[in-house]
Amino acid sequence: MKTEKNWLEWTMFAIGLALILGALGYLGHDALTMRDEPPHLVIELGAPAPRRHAFLVPVAVTNHGDATAEDVRIEVVLEAGGVRERGEIDMAFLPRAATRRGWVTFHRDPGAGKLVARVLGYESP
Amino acid sequence: MRSIQKSLQEYARGIAGGLLFSLPLLYTMEVWWTGFLAPPWRLLACVAGTFGLLLGYNHYVGIREDATFADVVVDSVEELGIGFLVAAGVLWLLGRVTLDMPVAEVIGKIVLEAMTVAIGVSVGTAQLGAGEEQDKGRGNGASGAGQGQDQSQDQRRAAGERPGEESVSFGGQVVIALCGAVLFAANVAPTEEIVMIAAEASPWRLIGMVLLSLVLAALILYYSDFIDARKHVRFDRRHDVLLGTVITYLIAFMASALILWFFGRFDGHMPSTCLAQTVVLGIAATLGASAGRLLLQ
Repeated sequence: MKTEKNWLEWTMFAIGLALILGALGYLGHDALTMRDEPPHLVIELGAPAPRRHAFLVPVAVTNHGDATAEDVRIEVVLEAGGVRERGEIDMAFLPRAATRRGWVTFHRDPGAGKLVARVLGYESP
Repeated sequence: MRSIQKSLQEYARGIAGGLLFSLPLLYTMEVWWTGFLAPPWRLLACVAGTFGLLLGYNHYVGIREDATFADVVVDSVEELGIGFLVAAGVLWLLGRVTLDMPVAEVIGKIVLEAMTVAIGVSVGTAQLGAGEEQDKGRGNGASGAGQGQDQSQDQRRAAGERPGEESVSFGGQVVIALCGAVLFAANVAPTEEIVMIAAEASPWRLIGMVLLSLVLAALILYYSDFIDARKHVRFDRRHDVLLGTVITYLIAFMASALILWFFGRFDGHMPSTCLAQTVVLGIAATLGASAGRLLLQ
């Protein structure tokens, strides 16, 4: 080498090398260990919180599958005293291992009834 | 040994170049989506391909005239590293990567965005600097800088005072054209518009797009007196023009297909739609390839 590098350039080289090897290692490991499972969505409902005109129920959805789910539609049904009230929420993308959060709202107090959540459907991107 | 100040200047130019060329991609949501939609082996191929382009560009154009292969590898690793850091920083600032996201999503986004940033860093370091004895490239940096300066450079060239400025070999031309095509076409490749145009275009329109690409290549390379065209392109005979135009278009076409494949734009489409998309994006790639051959030297 004719032009000798200074310590700054060697440091940058070391950082670059570490980043590249790290990314390659991670992606390589991922490519070898990744299965081909379809999206597997699990919903968790949080504790209802009263607001002035409605009750908010936090919804967290986690994708435990290997593929991304697109346009996820989730339905939450409240059954209280023989009356059904439906809440719905859409999520654009849910990559694997990702958790997305949102809220559904109800007129009646969810604490007085039973909440049932389910994934209505989703698309393969 | 280079001074610290000089290397800092080079990094600053590299970061400026990287952002100039890749900011549109950092601001495009289809690219973020590709970051988590693309399978890991495709991202690996993307990193390998980019590193290959960096090696090629640094070998043929790079900032050091007397670079050995080891120099070229070290420079390319540095540029890729800067690409990763810049992409990660900007994506974090834009709120596109956060700590509570899955690792796969964060790494996918950063890796994908870092690739064009790194090519931009390489081009920026080599092209945006002021002419110094150690630097190759077009020396005067600013393309539109005064007529007088251009003339003096022409005179020096005519007198053969700068032997390092001889025109680059065929392989070098291919690599430089590829870099130009990738840098320019990647900005529109991930958008929905390419698929939309391709799906709606009639065969006649597609043929028209191929012809437009060829005409653009010929105009830029041979007939518009583009910057330094006389230096980098042979036009002794008519068939040089024809051959050069066709080869440039072929490179652009290949680059266009590769980028579309990287962004998953071929997934689930019929071969005819894939071909149409390649032709649509081919116009952008041709502009990048032919202008790149003249500007990125």
